[in-house]
Parts: sequence; structure tokens; C-alpha cells
Amino acid sequence: MKAAVPATLPSRRSLFRVAGLAGAAALIPLSGCAGHAGQQNGVTTLRFMQNKPEVVNYFDQVIKDFEALNPDIRVIQDFNEGNFVPGLVRNDPPDVVTRGFAKATADFVKKGIFADLSDLPAASTIDPEMQELISSWGQYNGNEVSALPFSLAAAGVIYNRDIFDANGVAVPTTWDEFVAACETFKAAGITPIYGTFKDSWTLAQGMFDYVSGGSLDTAEFFTRINGKGADISAGAAESFTTNFGPALRQMLQLVSYSQNGASSKNYADGNAAFAKGQAAMYLQGPWALSQLVSANKDIRVGTFPLPVTNNPEETKARVNVDMALSITRNTPNMAAARRFVAYLLEPSVVNTYNEKNAAFSPLKDAPPVTNPQISGLDESVRKARYYQGAGTYFPPSVPLHNYIQSFVYSKNGDQFLAALDDEWRRVAERTAV
Amino acid sequence: MTTTSTVAKAGPSPEGPAETNVRRSPRRIDPTYYWMVVPVLALFAFFITLPALVGVFFSLTNYAGYGDWKFIGLSNYVNIFRDPAILQSYIFTFVFALTTTVVVNIVALAIALGLNAKIKWRTGIRTVFFIPMVLSALVVSFVFNYLFSNTLPVLAERFGLTPLATSILANENLAWLAIVLVTVWQAAPGATIIYLAGLQSVPAEVYEAADVDGAGSFRQFLSLTLPLILGYLVINVILGFKGFLGTYEIIVGLTGGGPGMATQSVAMRIFSGFTGGDYSYQMANAVIYFLITLLISVIQLRLIQRRGVSL
Repeated sequence: MKAAVPATLPSRRSLFRVAGLAGAAALIPLSGCAGHAGQQNGVTTLRFMQNKPEVVNYFDQVIKDFEALNPDIRVIQDFNEGNFVPGLVRNDPPDVVTRGFAKATADFVKKGIFADLSDLPAASTIDPEMQELISSWGQYNGNEVSALPFSLAAAGVIYNRDIFDANGVAVPTTWDEFVAACETFKAAGITPIYGTFKDSWTLAQGMFDYVSGGSLDTAEFFTRINGKGADISAGAAESFTTNFGPALRQMLQLVSYSQNGASSKNYADGNAAFAKGQAAMYLQGPWALSQLVSANKDIRVGTFPLPVTNNPEETKARVNVDMALSITRNTPNMAAARRFVAYLLEPSVVNTYNEKNAAFSPLKDAPPVTNPQISGLDESVRKARYYQGAGTYFPPSVPLHNYIQSFVYSKNGDQFLAALDDEWRRVAERTAV
Repeated sequence: MTTTSTVAKAGPSPEGPAETNVRRSPRRIDPTYYWMVVPVLALFAFFITLPALVGVFFSLTNYAGYGDWKFIGLSNYVNIFRDPAILQSYIFTFVFALTTTVVVNIVALAIALGLNAKIKWRTGIRTVFFIPMVLSALVVSFVFNYLFSNTLPVLAERFGLTPLATSILANENLAWLAIVLVTVWQAAPGATIIYLAGLQSVPAEVYEAADVDGAGSFRQFLSLTLPLILGYLVINVILGFKGFLGTYEIIVGLTGGGPGMATQSVAMRIFSGFTGGDYSYQMANAVIYFLITLLISVIQLRLIQRRGVSL
């Protein structure tokens, strides 16, 4: 074999050189894009990544105002949230971030990605109940404030005021009243609830979160089941099987009040149909409101929290921290980043944003919400009668939405809950190590 | 490589033919071939082999895609075998790939036979049949999604066919058939081209001889056409099956893996690891899937070699 190698072959060394060149050529573009924003001529450049592409214009204006007041800081807005994890991997994340706060962001907090904001003066202006929505997920080092709420989205049952008025139905405050309202609509030939089962996420955020959140203390439930770790069995007191049974019965009742053929309708179909008055109620969050209005500008809608018990005092709204402000821990521009975050939390910025976007401000002394589309949720939010949807507590590796959809079609609750217990245990097993 | 390099160069080279003849000893390998192969090899190694090895490495850890991690040995692999959702995705993928391969080949062969016959407007019809191949699978599946969810139910309702009045994409037991249908629609033209090439390679004399012997057209197909294009059939089956095992975008466009868990393919599960903070676990899944497909490929290559077909 050795003898067979012809002497005139290009030497092995030159081959390596060729391979090395090709490899280097491949690396150049990679190192090229890691160019760092930072200080230049006394002006600090901040990168601000926000998670809502639809409000870019609002933040452009905010940044303009901020830069006018702070000539030594320049802010670049990035609304492509998908860049965040790659930024972490490259160790070049944005300086200031807003994220929807749920399981995924809580995992970042646990890994110590964000800086402590507890000593920021603006932190004390925030409603402690809303801050609790974030800290209940766990705090880094046990006491750090890794994120401050900026916008709280509250969801409930969107209802068509005209259809309610025409049928003499008042906003229900108990489960029995709610069922009676559904029966009234049904008898009048009106679809009580418009279902969009084809998009499984609508089932999760809608009936699954509403019913479970209204009937049991989700935060407490997930704290308990997380405490159990991989040691969970279907029979345990902490399991889904033990706790979610009654909620599922109510879910199926909601399913039965949906139109025929709901399984072939998706979210876009639902918005179009509900805007045209094809149903009295719609289990969607505030993000659907602008869609409804753009499909029919004359529609008069309101929102009420779904009552799942017969005690009106227990009725709660589903909320999620739609935007939470954080500063990445290793930013070289900490002082500038803190000034920017403080500016974002000034009442004129944060309250205006939430007013414009059908959301709730996290500030203690925020004015009451007057927008008729969501004012029905104001009482629940102000009295802190709210919960974060059960679905948001699931690790993204559990295909919860698909399981819920499967349950809605098969109506087999035991199988569904057993599957959740199994999935939960398997994920706990492989992440607990 | 060594044999081809001794063949005299076709066409003039920049240095002129005389010089090359002088420089060219029979044992010398032209460095051009290395310039052709080595950069590609380096790029392949850097962008495919190296990341794959990194993936194998991380499959032995509890890495979430970012942050801290540590070695956990083979427990990801052990857990995969105990995960019914993963097993279900394997069953779905293999049943889907087998069914689709069979249907694609039957349909493609039928179309190829028709297009090979002397029919009117043959060129135009051929073009029509090849259009699906040009379209992006994702676009096709979104269009079909609309047809299945809206058009078909409305039509069915109008004609009183109640079983069809709800979308079959919403039916856990039937949704996979919709995926098979769309995949066949998309994949059949490619197979048809190969079959057409095969049919055109069959000399007309054999059919003339069969006609003289009084064989009917079905008999001719079974005893002449099929054996003569068997190599093309093998290629189609192998390439098709391999492709369908990796099915992804048509499912995303049609069902997104639903309803429920009914149409989750292995590729979808693996990809979910990137967004789901489940990177190392799904990497282990990817390694297992790679080994399975590798095994299938080796078996298939063996079969091909036995048949004397080369890809």
C-alpha cells in the first residue's frame, strides 16, 4: 500500500493546506457577524430586543424620545425574538430584552441569563401581585428580580354585545348562569361559542387554561408537581389525574356548545366568523380583538372572565406577562441599559403602551382601563383575581396542544391525563439530572 | 479515479496539448481532481460531519441548547425507548413511508405507461403532469389544507355526503391518508420521469415479437415491460422510501402533527428539540434514526448491487 503511493502526488501537507484554507474561508463569515455594539465616540449603543413585531412603530417613537433626552445613548431595536438564543450561544445577546414570561423565559432566569433589577427605583412602582407572576416561576439565587413586567395581557370570554342584548342575556357571573346563557343562545339558533379546534393552541389557551385556572390554583399545583420531580405517578396527590378531572368535564361541556364542524376551523376562520356575528362568544385573548375589528369595524365586543364555579368571588381571568423587561447579565453597557429600562417604566411610556394595545399596565397606580373591549376584566386584574394558564407551565417539549386536541376529539379524559402524567414524569426524569 | 486519470485529456488545456503530453506520466494524477474533491470534502466535513458529531456528543449530555450541561451517559437513549410518543412517531413514519412508496410507484408507473403511449397532445399532457414537481411542497400542502378544510366539506354538504362534511384533516384515523395523498401528488412526477426513461429504453422489437406471438397487452406488461424496467422500479422504491422517511414539510402544512398526536413524524419530533429546550434528548432520537436509516440504506444498496443496477 505504501509503495503504491506515487511520488508525484501532491504532498499531504499541501492537501492539509487546501483543507485549512477552505475551513478558514468557511469561518470568515461567522466571525464577521459577531461585530459588537458598544461604545463609540462617547455614545453607547444599546441593542433592545422586543418580542412583538406588531408594535415596532411604538417603540421606534419611544426610542426617539429617549435618545433626545439621553444624547449619549443610541438604541437599536430588534424585533426578531428568534435571534435571542443564537445570541446567547454566541455570547453576544442584546442588552435589553422583552419577552413573554412563561416556562421558556423562566428557564433562562434559572440559568442566570438576566441581571438583577431589584435595586432599580422603577421596580418599586410595580404592582407586587404582578411581580409575583414572574417571581412565582423561581428566582435566580432565590431573591433576584430578573424581569420586570411591562405589559399584562388578560384573557377571558370575548362576547358579542349586540347578540347578548338582542337575546336579553346579561354577562354571566357563575357557571350556572353561563350554562343558562349558552342554552338560551342554542334555543335561539345561535352558536353559543365559536370553536376553532383545528388550531390546537386555541384549545389550550382557551378552554383548557380557562377551566383549569378557574377551578384550581394553577401556580400552587405546578409548584407542588415540580417539587415532586420525576417521582410522580398517576395516583399521586400531585398528579394531573388527581387534580384535573372536574375541569375536563366542564371543558367537554364547552365543546358541546361549539358549532358543528369546529374541528375544521382555524384561528383565522374563527376571527372572520365571530366578527360576522356567527356566534355569541369566543374563547380568545386580547390579541384577537384587533383582528375582529379589522374584519368588521362595527362589531361591539366585550370580555368577561369565564366563571367556572358558582361563587362570583372565585371567578378569575387568565393573564400572561406579555412583555417582561430584562437586562442580560453580561452586558458591557449596564448603566445605559438600566437608564433605558427605567425610561420604559415611566408611566407615560408603559401606561400609554398598554392603553394602545388592549393590555394592562403593571404599575401600582395605573389608571383604570376604559377600553370597552377589555374593561370587563379590569376588576379581576385590579383585585389580582387571576392565574397564568396551565398550558404555559408545560415545558415546550411536551406537545400539550396536541394532547388537548386529541382529548377534545376522543373525549377520553382518563387517557389524556394519564398521558400528561407520563410525559411530565419523562421530562422530569431527563431534565432533573 | 486512477483509471480515469490515465485517459488522455479531451479538449485543449491552457498550456496547450503538446506540453500536457510531456508533463503527463501515466502514474501522475492531475491535481485538478484534488481541487475538485478536496474543497467539497472540507466543506462537507465542516458543515455536515462536524455538526453531526457535535450532535452525537451532546446526545450524551443533558444540554438544553444553551446554558450549563453535564454528561448523563446513555440515559437519553434509554428514555427514548420508554417514550410511547416517540415510538408512535416511528410507527407512523414507517407506515406512512411504506404506503406512500407503494402508492407513488403504482401511480407513477400508470402515468408513465399512459404518457409513453402514442396519445394526442402527449407533450402538453406530460408538462401538466410534471408541474407538481416544480411547486414547493409547503405551498402545495397549504393549498390542499384549504381544499380539505373548506372546499371539500362545503361540496360534500351540498351533495349530502355527510361523512365527508368534516375535514379529513380533523379525523385522527384518516388524516394520515390526506398526507399520503398530497405526498403522492407531489412525488409521483419525479418517479414518473424515471419510469418514462425506463420505458423508452425498452426496444420496440420485443413488443412486435410479442404481438406476433399473440400476447395481450396485460400479458405484455407483466412479462415484458415489468421485468425490463425492474431496475428503474428498484431505484424508485429505494429513493422514494428514503425520502418519505424524512417527511416533514407536507405534514407541517397539512396537520402540524395533529389532530392530537396522530401525524407526528420522527423528523418533526427531532426538530421540536431545537425549540423545546429538549436538544440533547432529540439528538439521541436523531442518532437512533440515523442508524436505522443507515441500516436500511445498506440493505437497499446490497439489493441494488445484486440486481446489477447502479445509482
